[in-house]
Amino acid sequence: MLRRTAVFLLLCALICASGRGASAQTRVPPINFKERTLPNGLVVYTAQERSSPTVAIQVWYKVGSKDDPDKRSGFAHLFEHLMFKSTKNMRDEMMDRLTEDVGGWNNASTSDDVTNYYEVVPSNYLETLLWAEADRMSTLNVTDKNFPSERDVVKEEFNSGVLAPPYGRLFYAIDKLSFEVHPYKRPTIGSKEDLDAATLEDVRAFHKTFYRPDNAVLIVVGDFEQAQLDAWVDKYFGKIPRPASSIPRVTVKEPERKAERRFSETGPNVPLPAVAITYLAPPVSSADADALRVAESILSNGESSRLYQSLVYSQQVAAEAFGSANLRQDAGLFVLGAILAGGKQPAEGERALLAELKKMQTEPVTKAELDKAVNQLVANALRERETNSGKAFAIGNAVIMQGDARRVNTDVERLQAVTAADVQRVMKKYFTDANRVVITYTGEAPKPAGAPGAGAQKEGSR
Amino acid sequence: MRNFLKGLRPASLLAAALLFAAAAFAGGSQAQTGSPGAATPQETPPPPASPRSVNVPKPAERTLKNGLRVIVIENHATPLVGAQLMVKNGGEVDPAQLSGVADLTAELLTKGTKTRTAPQIAQEIEALGGVLSSGAGWDASRASVNVLASKTEPAVSILADVVRNPVFKEEEIERLRQQYLDNLSVGMNSPGQLASWVASRVVFGGNPYGHPVSGTPESIPRIKREDITSLHSTYYRPDNAVLVIGGDIKSDDAFKLAERLFGDWAKPSTPLPASQAKADAAAARQRVVVVDMPGAGQAAVVFARRGIARTDPEFYTGLVANSVLSGYSGRLNQEIRIKRGLSYGARSSLDTRRDVGPFVASAQTKNQSGAEVASLLVGELSRLSSEAVSEAELMPRKAVVIGNFGRTLETTEGMVAQVANLALYGLSLDEINRYIASVQAVTPAQIQKFAGSRLGATDAHIVVVGDAKEFIEPLRKQFPNVEVIRREELDLNTGAIRKSGGAAKQ
Repeated sequence: MLRRTAVFLLLCALICASGRGASAQTRVPPINFKERTLPNGLVVYTAQERSSPTVAIQVWYKVGSKDDPDKRSGFAHLFEHLMFKSTKNMRDEMMDRLTEDVGGWNNASTSDDVTNYYEVVPSNYLETLLWAEADRMSTLNVTDKNFPSERDVVKEEFNSGVLAPPYGRLFYAIDKLSFEVHPYKRPTIGSKEDLDAATLEDVRAFHKTFYRPDNAVLIVVGDFEQAQLDAWVDKYFGKIPRPASSIPRVTVKEPERKAERRFSETGPNVPLPAVAITYLAPPVSSADADALRVAESILSNGESSRLYQSLVYSQQVAAEAFGSANLRQDAGLFVLGAILAGGKQPAEGERALLAELKKMQTEPVTKAELDKAVNQLVANALRERETNSGKAFAIGNAVIMQGDARRVNTDVERLQAVTAADVQRVMKKYFTDANRVVITYTGEAPKPAGAPGAGAQKEGSR
Repeated sequence: MRNFLKGLRPASLLAAALLFAAAAFAGGSQAQTGSPGAATPQETPPPPASPRSVNVPKPAERTLKNGLRVIVIENHATPLVGAQLMVKNGGEVDPAQLSGVADLTAELLTKGTKTRTAPQIAQEIEALGGVLSSGAGWDASRASVNVLASKTEPAVSILADVVRNPVFKEEEIERLRQQYLDNLSVGMNSPGQLASWVASRVVFGGNPYGHPVSGTPESIPRIKREDITSLHSTYYRPDNAVLVIGGDIKSDDAFKLAERLFGDWAKPSTPLPASQAKADAAAARQRVVVVDMPGAGQAAVVFARRGIARTDPEFYTGLVANSVLSGYSGRLNQEIRIKRGLSYGARSSLDTRRDVGPFVASAQTKNQSGAEVASLLVGELSRLSSEAVSEAELMPRKAVVIGNFGRTLETTEGMVAQVANLALYGLSLDEINRYIASVQAVTPAQIQKFAGSRLGATDAHIVVVGDAKEFIEPLRKQFPNVEVIRREELDLNTGAIRKSGGAAKQ
């Protein structure tokens, strides 16, 4: 599902961006990037990497679903889809002609804080793609002809991610029920009513407001000549004017939680109950973020992790257990959860999850667990950075989420510096009773035996 | 996310640049159609520069005295090593009543050896920053490790231990059995997964590729410990296995490591059992099956039929034909998603195996559109055989195949998987170097002929899993022979797919 995919990617990127030279023998080679800012405000990061004749091009816009217009939940993501439609100089889907048709690929993703567009092409197409990215930054041309069918695609994306999978409705509910006032409470995929309400005028206004050089970061990693690349960037992006208007920013702050809140959700065709627990977490820029990421790894990374060993392996209370530090530019969430094993109930999963958190609060984690977490983070970083595209994502996450491109090459030292006492401190600080939201998820009551198979369902797609 | 058809794992490509020089700039020239009222003239996209050439890495190989074939591919770009021990049999050797036993056996490898418990295995490998996984697919069972290059030796030692010395403790079997049943219960409630399982039964009936590789809710409880140990002793032997090691390691070191860890793995004196996969060429009757799942959030629509074996001489024609249909800009997604907004993604796959594997085209759509999507899938398969693909359409679809191939070679894991697959089917490893030329050589006439003889709609099956009341009427108009099965009546253990006693509802 989109929401989970988007969140997961972000999470992965954050972890990956952090693994740096941790173990004695293995170091993550630094990404030697160059940074410059054009007069119109576009910030450009480039890293030459000549091992394969390909190049990764990415444009990250500082706009996400938290910036959805009022009563238009899902709009930033719908807009992302429309960026593949026509511009002044390109017909619908021409980005696919320029990438897929020459052996490359493209995609884009929207999360709460950022929307990114990315492609990989044979390196002799670099100039073409720089032209194309500049073109859709400046001359997008969405029409009555291409808008409605793409909106239908997004509604099917909603169906595929939220309604069809047995646990789609649970993941859809997590942000909605976890934030009280911050726009993070709106699901990135939005609601069908709000998607239907979107107009062409909304599209034009959104592009004008947020898609501008001073709200974007261009990243190029791969096979290129530096001087040539710089000249192309100047030629195609340099001429895009910087608007005089200011860029609106979300200023709402999520209030501290005062008492535990509990919710129950249901869905059709849910074979095993589930439970999710969220805690309001600090922004990704917080000094506590590193310790929370190490805690996340110890709780949930791999089959030797505490949640797997306890809930899935020893107690066999869960078919699957998860814990993730879903940190964002503003207050994020630490989400834990379990899909219960057959015959088990949400209360049992909740008790088992809370017991693991309690253990982390009362006893320091071991040296072996800290070392393991760092080795896992280093190896993950290496796996991500095998490709030009992966290196570009690592830079993008450092710039946009951590606020400093250099973090791509310094982050692991910070993680290595995390101590058992740090982990224990953040566990005590954030994982309190008052900071907890609990969501249980169960199947809708089954129809009486022998009833015809066509009973109306409360939440069927319609 | 704009689309999920393309791999989320970022990667790049090797070879497309080589083949698609300036002339191959498909689409660019078509961009110049007028934009009335534009204040400034339209711009032309800058054309590509001349391409750089690439090298495909060269595998080295040796066969140990016990018959274990060892293949090494050096790639020193990143300090990672991947190793895969592949046994050349998988779910196709499951006895008819014991669907899932090969997969369960492979999963259990990492759940305890003579000297390590399951938690110890996980702890040791993850402390190294490694990822260890195992499972069975069709034609093969695999255990793989990916690890920091500096930790190669301890990690591959654990790999050898789990393959050679698993103990299959009852306690671990019961634990995994329950996990399988839980996962199956989720799959039985997921329209896409369920449609895929049903399609395999409809295409292959009671033959080996017909059952779900991860078993059924009825077969998993039947599997006993001796079924597992017997499968392990029969198929897990050095002369039925291949070890592939790739990444930041010198060939000599890799061969030495293989000899030390696997050289004394004894080869049984009994002969290897003959391959059991027989896809049965007898044409099954064409079926249109609806599985009714009230409340389903979408209808999963599948077009399925027998495809080809991996060693079929028309393999590359099949690859390219499938690419005309599949991929973001393939015909299925063009018609179903891009033109009509009926789905988040439509795709097809030609799954080539030791024997004839399935060809599957599929899409998920809102329930009300189930019949329309079925009709579009059939229409596109028919069109592929009724008219030749133009060169202009074909060239970019070949570029997609070549680009995807290049990307798999760029990561340690992808390279290892690619080489292991060639070894599995007894193909020359040199085929890596011929791949691009073979794709390039495919002609429109070959594709049209292949589509008619191997992908035709007339001997294909349709499966739709969803809320039947929303689409059954229009579907029945198109396919009067449609069978409707309530999910509770579904039986994945036989080709009939209906529990006995349930009357056919037509």
